[in-house]
Amino acid sequence: MSILLTEEQQLIGQSARDFAKEYLEPMVLEMDRTGQYPAAVVKQLAAQDFLGLFLAGEYGGAEAGYVSLVEVVENLSRVSAAVASIMVNHALAAYAIQRWGSPEQKKTCLPKLAAGEVLGAFAVFEHGPTPGVGAGALMATKLPEGWALKGTKAFVRNAGVAGAYVVLACTDPAAGAKSLAAFIVNAKASGLTVGAPYETMGLKGCPMADLVFDNVMVTDTAILGGSTDGSAIMTETLALASVAEAAQTVGIGQAAVEHAAAYAKTRIQFGRPIASLQAIQTLLAEVAADCHLARLGLRYAAQLMDDGEPFLVEAAMVKQFLARFGAKMLIDTVQVEGGFGYSETMPLPRLFRDIAGTTLLEAPADYPEKTIAAALLA
Amino acid sequence: MSILTAEQKQIQAQATAFVAKEIIPFAEKFDKAGEFHPYLLDAARESRIFAMAVPMAFGGLEYSALTQAVVLEAWGYGCAGMATTLAASVLSMDSVLVAGTEAQKKQFFDPMVRGEIGSFGLTEPSAGSDAGNGKSTAVRVGDEYVINGSKCWITNGGYSSVFVIYALTDPAAGMKGISAFIVEKGTPGFTIGTVDHKLGIRSSNTVELLFKDVHIPAANLLGKEGEGMKIAMKTLDMARPAIASLSLGLAQRALDECVKHMQKLYPEKAQPGQTLQFKLADMRIEIEAARQLLYHAMNLRDAGLPYSAESAMTKTFSSDVAMKITTQAVQLMGAYGYTSVLAKLMRDAKIMQIYEGTNQIQRLVISRAVLAPARPAVAVQKGGN
Repeated sequence: MSILLTEEQQLIGQSARDFAKEYLEPMVLEMDRTGQYPAAVVKQLAAQDFLGLFLAGEYGGAEAGYVSLVEVVENLSRVSAAVASIMVNHALAAYAIQRWGSPEQKKTCLPKLAAGEVLGAFAVFEHGPTPGVGAGALMATKLPEGWALKGTKAFVRNAGVAGAYVVLACTDPAAGAKSLAAFIVNAKASGLTVGAPYETMGLKGCPMADLVFDNVMVTDTAILGGSTDGSAIMTETLALASVAEAAQTVGIGQAAVEHAAAYAKTRIQFGRPIASLQAIQTLLAEVAADCHLARLGLRYAAQLMDDGEPFLVEAAMVKQFLARFGAKMLIDTVQVEGGFGYSETMPLPRLFRDIAGTTLLEAPADYPEKTIAAALLA
Repeated sequence: MSILTAEQKQIQAQATAFVAKEIIPFAEKFDKAGEFHPYLLDAARESRIFAMAVPMAFGGLEYSALTQAVVLEAWGYGCAGMATTLAASVLSMDSVLVAGTEAQKKQFFDPMVRGEIGSFGLTEPSAGSDAGNGKSTAVRVGDEYVINGSKCWITNGGYSSVFVIYALTDPAAGMKGISAFIVEKGTPGFTIGTVDHKLGIRSSNTVELLFKDVHIPAANLLGKEGEGMKIAMKTLDMARPAIASLSLGLAQRALDECVKHMQKLYPEKAQPGQTLQFKLADMRIEIEAARQLLYHAMNLRDAGLPYSAESAMTKTFSSDVAMKITTQAVQLMGAYGYTSVLAKLMRDAKIMQIYEGTNQIQRLVISRAVLAPARPAVAVQKGGN
């Protein structure tokens, strides 16, 4: 384990920066305005091997690991966290299949995901306190010919554009969340419909909608890992989500603090650049420090993943840290830019709207604290 | 302590009812459109709420500072954008209350009583926090002044009938050369420039004002030449707590929406775990502290006591609380927060820390007061009560 990036990881980070400059900068404002899914850019992500970054070479992946993944996510997010969101949710589905899939499932799904032929999506949340519980929960009923899925998954990113969904469903109404299982569902499956797209505050371009399952039939081979213990799949994949989203937060925050610093050097008030005022310096310094610490934390968690070590607690700590300091990065950098900074003609309002989407705690909102405390008290 | 009188409670109830009927149902639509809609003025006309700061002698409601704060809090609860329209109009009036003659008051307040609005024009691109650094000029020619220059981020500008505009009558004197003027809409040479599209408070109108050889009667000078900065500072002391009111409304709304959501999410248990319960408790504590600081500042003003420091404190504290609570509410509600009215509250809250003097400027003022040499101690009387 090293906390420093290897040469390869640095190169991958640089390639993401170059990619963002070439492909994202020209389209990011228009995408924010229209909310259009950036199909052409996603093709380019695939061409760049970003969609199979940590997948094994035998499936066409780059086998570059999770530190590389978060490097790419951070660097893309400096320009467009929306595009990074698309990539992250794809990565979650790919992760779940590579980690828990049968050899057959991996052979069928992963090459297509790695090549970007099929976009993935991981669907966990429901309209209730916990997945697998409540009226809208997605229920999986065992039938002789396979499983029938009925219910709704809520707020699914990449909904409607993904070709393959990894969905968590409850297999025993009496056992609720304890009976979760993960299924691979083809987007074209009969009975599966995508709800109206949600209007989000930011991250526009990354689609978000409910998935409605009306007795969607899947075969026995669709169940991930062939087991009905999906809670580990959920917990671990959500932990990766925390780490990857943290990389988005840090990318956005870093872009914002650099922009605000540059602005502060040119904005003259009281006869001097506001950058010379200590009050402004402190705002910038705090954001830069929060960014740096979060980056170390999330990179550490990603390194644990690369080393095959447990990383759930470290992921929860990063999530918890950014729940407190993530949105503040934009609250304070917009403050530096004052009245100008509040105008949508300036870049920070978009970043403000985006960063809020990367620090959401989701229901139940206290899971980072629970995870950390459980480890401490075990 | 700040217990509202029966009359204030009644006014509060009226404001809440108006907000429920005329503001909340339209807030999302106008936020999305990103434009001010004059229907608000029609809806509010009969109540004369846009004349709530106008003295009764001029046909207004002459609400006390505390009563105004209560009304603005209710409006902020409904939509901080539309509440900004009201707050900014009151702000423009405050300059006339501070320095206007009877004739000027009539000139400025008549439109308010008719349900029209006003604008306060101090800020320029070069004069934000450095408010005294404006470049606009007003040159005396006979019995007129001729104004040239521009103002930016002026709330209501595109829809106001009357404006208070600050311009240099003596550029060499710097801040002491600034004067305040009443300018009426439609005066030749006075036009609206670009309309600002903002992160939040999108249903309020924010524009640039352009002045090209604008002739106004010399009688429109507020106070004396060179008193502009003094008038502006007094005006902002009066008006700043309005931002605290709006912030308070925003924060209360965020908490209420969050609680509503939690109750839906946990219908059986009635309560989420202690982690979330305590977060809600903290929100409630901060809102209450913000409310009491605001009401206290308003009580001071209504009692004719100095309240300048409290005015800065309440604006700063309330807006920081609103930013914190709206952000936390969005996070706690996860994707629900990110796709609901909560997102608007969070976007709206951000401007509260910026406009009418950034919180950095407020802290500068407050810290100077804190660090000022202590006043000579007042001899404590002994033996009496």
